[in-house]
Amino acid sequence: MSDKSPLIQLQNITKDYILGDGQSYQALNNISLEIDAGEFIAIVGPSGSGKSTLMHILGALDNPTLGKYLFKGKDISTYTDDQLAEIRNKEIGFVFQTFNLLSRTTVFKNVERPMMYAGVDEKKRKERVNDALELVGIAEKANNLSNKISGGQIQRVAIARAIIMNPSIILADEPTGNLDTKTSHEIMGFIKDLNEKGRTIILISHENDIAAYARRVIKLVDGKIVSDTRRK
Amino acid sequence: MEYKEIFKSAVQALRSNILRTSLTMLGIIIGITSVILIYSIGQGAVAFITNELSSFGTDYFQINPGGSQISTFAGSEALTFDDLEAIKNDASLTNIKSVAPIAMASVPVSSNEEEDELLTYGITPEVFDILRPEIIEGEFITQEQEEASERVVVLGSEVAKTFFGENSQSVGENLKINNRNFRVTGVVDSSSALAGGFINNAIYIPINVVINDILGEEKLQEIDISVHDPGSINQTIDDVENLLRDRHDLDENDENDFQIQSAQDILTTVQTITGLLTAMIAAISGISLVVGGVGVMNIMLVSVTERTKEIGLLKAIGAKQKDILTQFLVESIVMTLIGGFIGIFLGIVGAYSVSAILGIPFVVSIPAILIAVGVSTLVGIIFGLYPARKAAMLAPIDALRYE
Repeated sequence: MSDKSPLIQLQNITKDYILGDGQSYQALNNISLEIDAGEFIAIVGPSGSGKSTLMHILGALDNPTLGKYLFKGKDISTYTDDQLAEIRNKEIGFVFQTFNLLSRTTVFKNVERPMMYAGVDEKKRKERVNDALELVGIAEKANNLSNKISGGQIQRVAIARAIIMNPSIILADEPTGNLDTKTSHEIMGFIKDLNEKGRTIILISHENDIAAYARRVIKLVDGKIVSDTRRK
Repeated sequence: MEYKEIFKSAVQALRSNILRTSLTMLGIIIGITSVILIYSIGQGAVAFITNELSSFGTDYFQINPGGSQISTFAGSEALTFDDLEAIKNDASLTNIKSVAPIAMASVPVSSNEEEDELLTYGITPEVFDILRPEIIEGEFITQEQEEASERVVVLGSEVAKTFFGENSQSVGENLKINNRNFRVTGVVDSSSALAGGFINNAIYIPINVVINDILGEEKLQEIDISVHDPGSINQTIDDVENLLRDRHDLDENDENDFQIQSAQDILTTVQTITGLLTAMIAAISGISLVVGGVGVMNIMLVSVTERTKEIGLLKAIGAKQKDILTQFLVESIVMTLIGGFIGIFLGIVGAYSVSAILGIPFVVSIPAILIAVGVSTLVGIIFGLYPARKAAMLAPIDALRYE
C-alpha cells in the first residue's frame, strides 16, 4: 500500500440484525466509503438511519454481515474479538455521549486505563496522562473521582483518554448530546484543534450546528448514504 | 494489565458495595471459622491427652482381667499372683523393668467424726513409679511394710482433707478401714487432670493386707508393667500376652480372658476419635463453603449484569477477553480470600477462648491455615470462573448498548 491509500475503506458493507421474532433487520445496506487521514467527517441522519451501526463498524466494535472493512489496507472485517480489541486500543479513540468514564475511579485512572491494556510502563503512563489532562485543561482534577465532576469536564476527560494512545482516528458519538450550548462549543473546539493537529475525526451527530464543525458531511437514511458533501 | 492494578481495582469494586460484599463473604467466613476452630480444638485435645499420658510415661502398660474393660471391677479371677510371678520370673522378658500388682476394693473407712466408702488400692511399692504422685506428707508404702503386711495406709490428698481437715497433720493418725485400725504413714497428691480425681480420692495399703483382711481371696484387678525401652514396648506386650494365654490354656481361637492396654493405645484411640470428629466437621464446613461459593457466584453474576456497560466501555478502549476475565476472577478470589482470612482470625480467636475455658493447650495448626487459604482461593476460582467468563465473552457492542 502506498502512503496515499485511504486510512479507511468500506466496501459494500451490509449489517443485518436478527430480531427476537427471527426476522432480520438491515441496519446498513451496501455502504461503500473511503476516509483519508486527517479528515474531519460528520455522519448525520435521523434516528434509525444506521449512523450508530456505521459508527460501531468504523470503531471496530462490531463486524459487518457482508462486505470488507480495510483499515490501513488490512481487511479487519473477519478479525476476532481480541484482534479488534487491539485495533480499538491502539488505533481508535472513543468519545461517547454518556457513560464515558468508570465511576468511583479517579480522572487519572480513567485516562490511564488504555495504556494499562497496552502494557505501557508506569512512569510513561504517568507522564502521558499528565500531558493529556494538561492539553484538555483539566490537570487539576486528576485525582477527583469521575462521578464528582461536571458533564463538560467528563467529556474533556474522555477526549484526554481518546488521544492517550495516539490513535489514527477519534470517533465521537454525539459527544455534546448531554451538554449545554456553551460547553458543547467548548468541547467541539478541542475536537477541532485535534483535527487541525492532523488527527482524523469521525463525528456522529444529529445537531446541525455541531455537524457544521466538520469539513465533510455524510448523510444516512435507511441504512444508505444519501449524500456525501465536502466543504472547502 | 499489571496484577497490582487489577488487585487495586478489584478491592475498589468490592468496597463500593461493602454491605453486599460482607454478606456474600459470610458463608466463606463461617465455613473457614469452623474448620480452624474445630481443628485447633481437636489438636489441643490430643496435645492435652498426650501430655497427660506422657506424665505417666509411655513406658508402661497395664493388664486387666476379663475380655472387656467392664470386668475390671467385676472380680474376674483371670489374673492371679501366679500370673504375676510367671511374668516376673520369665527370663526371656528382658525389657521389663518392674511389675506392680494392684488389688482393688471399695471399703468403709471411718475416723471418729467421718465415715466414707473409699476406693482402696492394695499395692506394692512399684506402683509409685507408675502413678507418680507427689508425696506431700510422710512416705509411700515401703517394701518392708508390704512384706510384713503392716496395717498402714497412704491417703490421697482429698481423703486426707476429708478426714483430717486442710493443712493439718495426717501422718501418725489412725483410721478404721473395714473395722480394723490402720496407721496413716503418708499423703499423696496428683495434679494430673485425668488421673488426679482417682489418685487423690483413693487410699493405698499393702497388697497382702487387702487380700487377707478385706477381699479374703487372692485376685488382682490390675498388673502394671513398666519397660526399659518404650520403643520395643509392643514386642514386650506380645510376649506377655502369649505367656498369659499359655498359662490360661487358651486355644488359638479363644479370645483373651484379660486385656492389655498401653498409654499408646489410649492415645491412638483419642486420635482416632478426634480424627473422625475433625473429618465430620470438615465435611460440614465443606457444605458451608459450597453454599458460600454459590453465594459468591450469584453476586458475581449480578455484578456482571450491573456492570455490563462498564464492560462495554472497557472493551471499547482495548480490554481483551483475558483482561475482563482476570478482573472479575480476581474480584471473586479477593472476596473469598478476605472471607478466608476473617474466618482464620475468628477461628483462632475462638479456639484460643475455648482452650482457655476448657483448660486444654492452645494449638494453632499451620497446615490448617494453609489449607484454609488454599480452599478459599479455590472457592473463589471455581465459583468466580463462570461469571467472569460470561463477562469476558460479552460482545462490546451488546455491552455498550445494554440499558
